[in-house]
Amino acid sequence: MASKTAAAKDIITLHGSAAIVSEFFCYAANSILYNRAVYPEESFAKVKKYGLPMLLTQDESVKSFLSNLTCQISEWLEAGKLQRVVLVIMSKATGEVLERWNFRIETDAEVVEKGVSREKSDKEIMREIQAIMRQVASSITYLPCLDEPCVFDVLAYTDTDVAVPFTWVESDPKLIANPQMVKLHAFDTKIHKVDTLVSYKNDEWDEEE
Amino acid sequence: MMLRTPPPKKARSEAGGSSTPTGDQLVIYEDSPLPAPLQTASHDHSDQHLCTYQCRQMVKSDVLDALSKAEKQAQGYQTMLQTLNQNFTQADEERKQFRDKFLYSEQELAAAKGREKVLQEQLLMEMNNSQERYTKALQSCHDLEVVKLQSEMNLRTKAESSVATAEEKAKLLEEKLSQLSGSVERERNRLNNDIAHLGKEAKLSVSRIGADLERMQCRAQSAETESDLLRSQLEDLKQKFDECLHEKTEVYKKLSSFTSEAASPSDNNVLFKTLQEELKRCEAEVREARKLKSQQLDAELLKVKLLEEKSRRERAESELSKLPELQISFDKLENELCSWKSLLNNIPGVYCPDDVVMKFSALQKEVLDSTMKIGEASTRFNQLEAALDATQLGKQNAETEAALAKEKFEALKSDVKRIEAMLALVTEEKEQLKAVVSERRKSNSDGSVSATTDGTLAQSFESSLAKKENYLKELEKELSQLKDVNNRQRDEIEHLNDKLVSEARRMKSLERDSDRLRSEISLLESKCKLGHGDFSAANTRVLRMVNTLGVENEAKQTIEALQAELQKTKERLQAVEELKSQSGDAGKLVDSHITGKIAQLKEQIATLEKREERYKTVFADRISVFRRACCELFGYKIVMDEHQRPNGIPVTRFTLQSIYAQSDDEKLEFDYESGNTSILDNQYTSQGEIAKQIEIFIRKFNSIPAFTANLTMESFNRRTLY
Repeated sequence: MASKTAAAKDIITLHGSAAIVSEFFCYAANSILYNRAVYPEESFAKVKKYGLPMLLTQDESVKSFLSNLTCQISEWLEAGKLQRVVLVIMSKATGEVLERWNFRIETDAEVVEKGVSREKSDKEIMREIQAIMRQVASSITYLPCLDEPCVFDVLAYTDTDVAVPFTWVESDPKLIANPQMVKLHAFDTKIHKVDTLVSYKNDEWDEEE
Repeated sequence: MMLRTPPPKKARSEAGGSSTPTGDQLVIYEDSPLPAPLQTASHDHSDQHLCTYQCRQMVKSDVLDALSKAEKQAQGYQTMLQTLNQNFTQADEERKQFRDKFLYSEQELAAAKGREKVLQEQLLMEMNNSQERYTKALQSCHDLEVVKLQSEMNLRTKAESSVATAEEKAKLLEEKLSQLSGSVERERNRLNNDIAHLGKEAKLSVSRIGADLERMQCRAQSAETESDLLRSQLEDLKQKFDECLHEKTEVYKKLSSFTSEAASPSDNNVLFKTLQEELKRCEAEVREARKLKSQQLDAELLKVKLLEEKSRRERAESELSKLPELQISFDKLENELCSWKSLLNNIPGVYCPDDVVMKFSALQKEVLDSTMKIGEASTRFNQLEAALDATQLGKQNAETEAALAKEKFEALKSDVKRIEAMLALVTEEKEQLKAVVSERRKSNSDGSVSATTDGTLAQSFESSLAKKENYLKELEKELSQLKDVNNRQRDEIEHLNDKLVSEARRMKSLERDSDRLRSEISLLESKCKLGHGDFSAANTRVLRMVNTLGVENEAKQTIEALQAELQKTKERLQAVEELKSQSGDAGKLVDSHITGKIAQLKEQIATLEKREERYKTVFADRISVFRRACCELFGYKIVMDEHQRPNGIPVTRFTLQSIYAQSDDEKLEFDYESGNTSILDNQYTSQGEIAKQIEIFIRKFNSIPAFTANLTMESFNRRTLY
């Protein structure tokens, strides 16, 4: 995280910014899995984070999956090779993609190349992340209901010169045909800027209308 | 020339009539030149007028007085003549001066006219040139403007239409692509799942069959060993039986010897019979017990078989129940593939799924090109504006030149006016001179100067002046015409300027619209890029974790299923071992029931052999079904053989023949050894095309399935006619 505190702004390094973004993704993924009822409510436990009560899954398999994921994401963020992370929710029966949660990442190349640091208040960053988490929680008001059992997967858009780890394989982007899109807030650590957008399949009711 | 002496009578009589004497005056007849008229008069009056000497003297005195008076008058007249001559000379001189002045003024006039002409010509030239330039510039500007505007409008409309069509096409293609990609993904996933499922099932079935085979082999081996042991036991028992018989005969002999010695042989026989009967009964009981045991074993085995067959039935029924679904899914997949192929055929330039991505990238490039064209059109608009500004500057320059020319005209006009004023003054002086000259002509007839020349000169001057005036009038007319033309041109220029201003406003509004559209397009593109997940394959790679939760769950399920099967097999093994141990104990304990045991063993061997045969037939059936399914699914007849290399290492050889092969020589041979498969060279694989494919797919990409699939497609295409 922020290494030292200055007067009003905190110094943020590449490692700290990568840790912030990967941690954000972990909590955002948990929040999405809870709000979209991909896993049952009783499998989540409440913790305090970003000034909000956040829900984290207690399923060991999901925990290990997300922890491995965040480690790899942090590594790619520090190398400046990560362009986007997408959390895909699919129907378990048909494999159809129902929702795509896009997290687009812009990295300051100067920081990666030269190793300089930036200044931004930790509180400001937390406030921005809090706004996104609130929007994720309120997304259930306009997102269509997921009536069938669903599974999730995570895609990483990286540079082509990235060495693919043995636990990762190349995949198709799992796009949705004619999606509805809702752009959420963004947050910026001055080293990594994260834009959030959710695209979802048109509900049958909406199509009939 | 001025004549000093008076002219003769006739001239004088002609000239003056005042010297002729009248009847009242005395006519003096004298010899002087004067009296020529007197002489004539005296002839007429000689008779009448004869005077005396006194009268003559008086007359002489009178005449002398008259003469003196006349002389005095003559002198006076002479002086007057002289003065007149002097005046005349002065007038001549003045006239000469005036004439010189007039000539000078004429020269000046001529020079001024010449200058005027030259200036006018220059002005006319300049005006003409400027007019030509102006008209040319205007025409060129007008034409350029019109052409450029038209071309730009056409370009803009074309670009807009192309952008709209490209956008529509891109949208349609995106929709189609997304649909295609989704359907392709679904198909792929389904196919992959089905293939994985089928593969797993096949693997499981193969593994099960292998395990069953191994079990059967183990059982057969164990049965063989048991049979060997039993045979050895049998032999031992036979030996023992022979020994027992031998002992029995000896005992019988002994008994017979004993019975011959003894008194009651019948009791011993009875005992022997009873013993034999008991033995028989025991043997029968043992046989029955053994039969029951064997029946129990058979029943248990049958139960196990029943359970196995029930499970197989259930599996077969589940698979059968799945078959229609699979068939439906296959039909759906085929329909989707056909629709996908038809869609691909509808998309121009797309012949396979990979081309869709290329086509999409090409369409994206076209959209970018259209935006580039729009940018170029905007730059052209800017260039046109610059050109218009330049033309406006040129117009302003032409206007300034026209103003300068007008000023020159005005200056020339003022010069002309001055010249005209000078001419007027000169003409006035001429008239004055004329008047003076006419007066002199009247007063002095002798010393008069030939006024005709003055008159002709004045007339010539007048005519030249008139001509000049006419010329000036013509010039003024031309000037007025030029002014009218200039005014018309000015009006046209103002009209064109108004048009230019309106066109410039239109251009600015169009530029604003284009900027707005560009911003909207960029926003939509960013949205699409952000939301739709599009990416360029040159810069981006999409990765996902292999060890996903679904795979883990599936692996867990398979692990659990395998563990359950292991437990079952362990239980069965334990039961079999117990039965074996029980059968072994029973055989060892009861020596007298050897024949029954032998029969049982024989029966067991027969049953085992039957089972083996049954298992073999079942395996053969299953293997044939599997091979037929493999042939129908993958398009190759596979024949497996065992070979030995020269170094003695056993190698499995697979010979593949495609169902679309046109001859029996089209065979592929592979050697399989400890997990490694290698292709063998033969006549078919040494052909040019096949060798190339082997080089590409097997040597380069290390993929035999890709090679066989490609070969299948090629042979299919050769076989089927479009």
